Amino acid sequence: MFTILRINTATGETVREQSHAKEYVLGARTLSSRLVSREVVPTCDPLGRQNKLFFCNGALSGTVVSSANRLSIGGKSPLTGGIKESNAGGIVGTRMAEQGLRCISLEDAPARNAGWKIVVIGKDGVEFVDGEFLAGKGVYEKSDLLSERFGRKAGCITIGPAAEKLLLASGIACSDPHGVCSRYAGRGGLGAVMASKQVIAMVIRADGEVKPDYVDPEVFKAGSRRIIQLLKENPVSSAFTKYGTAAMVDICQALNVLPARNFTHGYMEGAEKINAQTMYDTIKERGGEGLTQHACMHPCAIQCSNVYPDKEGKLLCSPVEYETMALMGSNLCLNNLDTIAEMNRIANDAGVDTLDCGAAIGVAMEAGLAEFGDDKAAIGFMEEVRSLTPLGRIIGSGCKVAAKVLGVRHAPHVLGQAIPAYEPRGTKGMAMTYLSSPMGADHTFGFTLRDEENPTTKEGKVGLSKKFQVIGSRMDAMGMCNFVRYSVRNDMSPLLDLIKYLYDVEISADEFDEMVKETLRLEHQFNSDAGITGLDHRFAETFYEEVQPETGEVMDITDEECAEARRW
Amino acid sequence: MVNFKLSEAGSVSLGIDGHIQLEEVLQRCATKAGLELGGYIAIRSRRVISSGTLIGNEDEIDVFPAISGG
Repeated sequence: MFTILRINTATGETVREQSHAKEYVLGARTLSSRLVSREVVPTCDPLGRQNKLFFCNGALSGTVVSSANRLSIGGKSPLTGGIKESNAGGIVGTRMAEQGLRCISLEDAPARNAGWKIVVIGKDGVEFVDGEFLAGKGVYEKSDLLSERFGRKAGCITIGPAAEKLLLASGIACSDPHGVCSRYAGRGGLGAVMASKQVIAMVIRADGEVKPDYVDPEVFKAGSRRIIQLLKENPVSSAFTKYGTAAMVDICQALNVLPARNFTHGYMEGAEKINAQTMYDTIKERGGEGLTQHACMHPCAIQCSNVYPDKEGKLLCSPVEYETMALMGSNLCLNNLDTIAEMNRIANDAGVDTLDCGAAIGVAMEAGLAEFGDDKAAIGFMEEVRSLTPLGRIIGSGCKVAAKVLGVRHAPHVLGQAIPAYEPRGTKGMAMTYLSSPMGADHTFGFTLRDEENPTTKEGKVGLSKKFQVIGSRMDAMGMCNFVRYSVRNDMSPLLDLIKYLYDVEISADEFDEMVKETLRLEHQFNSDAGITGLDHRFAETFYEEVQPETGEVMDITDEECAEARRW
Repeated sequence: MVNFKLSEAGSVSLGIDGHIQLEEVLQRCATKAGLELGGYIAIRSRRVISSGTLIGNEDEIDVFPAISGG
């Protein structure tokens, strides 16, 4: 039996409901997107009382299985106007499992002058604690204050000052294994949704007593070891462990899809100064608190995360990921890892998405507010976000808003969400994925790049994107880290077997894939009901008119092809 | 010449008579370097090439582990 804890943020009432349904078995995006589809009025104001915010852990959360503790957060996005599932690592999913929870739902909304609250969930029940002492503080300070009060082992979720002001690019920060709220469900503005309910933090105490009730513990442990073995057998996994996602810098540079100069180029001179090898060497040389290998959750056999230190060896930012290195680095013609890490740290503290803010700064530079390649100006933009100046609020609302305000046509987004770190004219598979995602431009939704024999042609890319939409969504569907797919490849049976050994529930591979596709159908239907049409699934017109110099390509994907990629 | 990027293997040279397919070239180079070849992205002259592409003695190929961003 799986439990959803419903919390009315206006009245303080809480209700626990239980279900045996398979959507609850899988949890994660399978559950969050179904709950949003079923319970949120598609046309509602995302920052109003009719929106809900669902926090769902996954099928294998709280067990010994590697990389199984992603937390899916779902609701209607104020950034895209459509459905959103954004997920993060960290320990919150584990703490929920220990409390016997599959889902926590924040519902309704109090009056605007109600004051900030912290929702505290423990074995003895749910409390609303005064959260005014956190108001206006950065996420790092909030994180410290929450740890002081509730202990470092508590699973904390909080928002930054940007979310408190309802900025559209604000994310939700979750505790990492060290008790620091640095693992972000960054995309889609869900931080603003949490703020709209006057909830400044949510704490899941480390006093939960629920343990996995295995059907057969020994078989389960053997199955769990099999996942680790599969991960270790795959040579790609070891590259991930050593270099993390930063390895993509060289790959994208070689393919001419490393975004540069506000997505007008796919190549940056000097990219080797910010590549994986440079980052690895820098972290090793500086030593101190720096780590080239770091787990964002426990247990994890991949450990692709990192801790980037400053010149004195003190923690500057953790993690620094490829998408940020591109959007806050190459896209702004910055080739200094310290600058990128500093911008990333400020973004984490302000509580905003590094992709949407990086893209917005690119737009601001194109508008002439600063020169591309100006490190000080780039950091200055982020400080404006953290200080909530008028310009900072524009940047913190993402690149679509920034482009409108600043008079820039070349706005790199789909459905209002910034394009991730792959220049779409140079990779039509990724472009197809960006265009057809119900979440707005999203690389994890269907990562085609490594399987595109000819990235610049659109031929065959509807099918390729759809293939990877299913493959990518499988991991989200049950709360696994996306990179576990390197172990199981196209065979989900090792993971589905673990579900059987844990819950005595049989889900066949075909049934599982049908649930994944049904999730996609529901997400698109929600968007359609919310008023999003095929015309919204486009890039800015400039991508169709202006050639990307390195590939000689323009965007040539038609509305019909995009519609086919959204049809399930 | 095959450059195994982001790998301890580094660069591996192979003498080829005529032209042979990329897949075979990579397997032979990987064996020579004591490397297990997983998923890869191969690039010649800044263009992606596939496993069936014919490779000659004069070619230089960069091989990356086929990872993804996250």
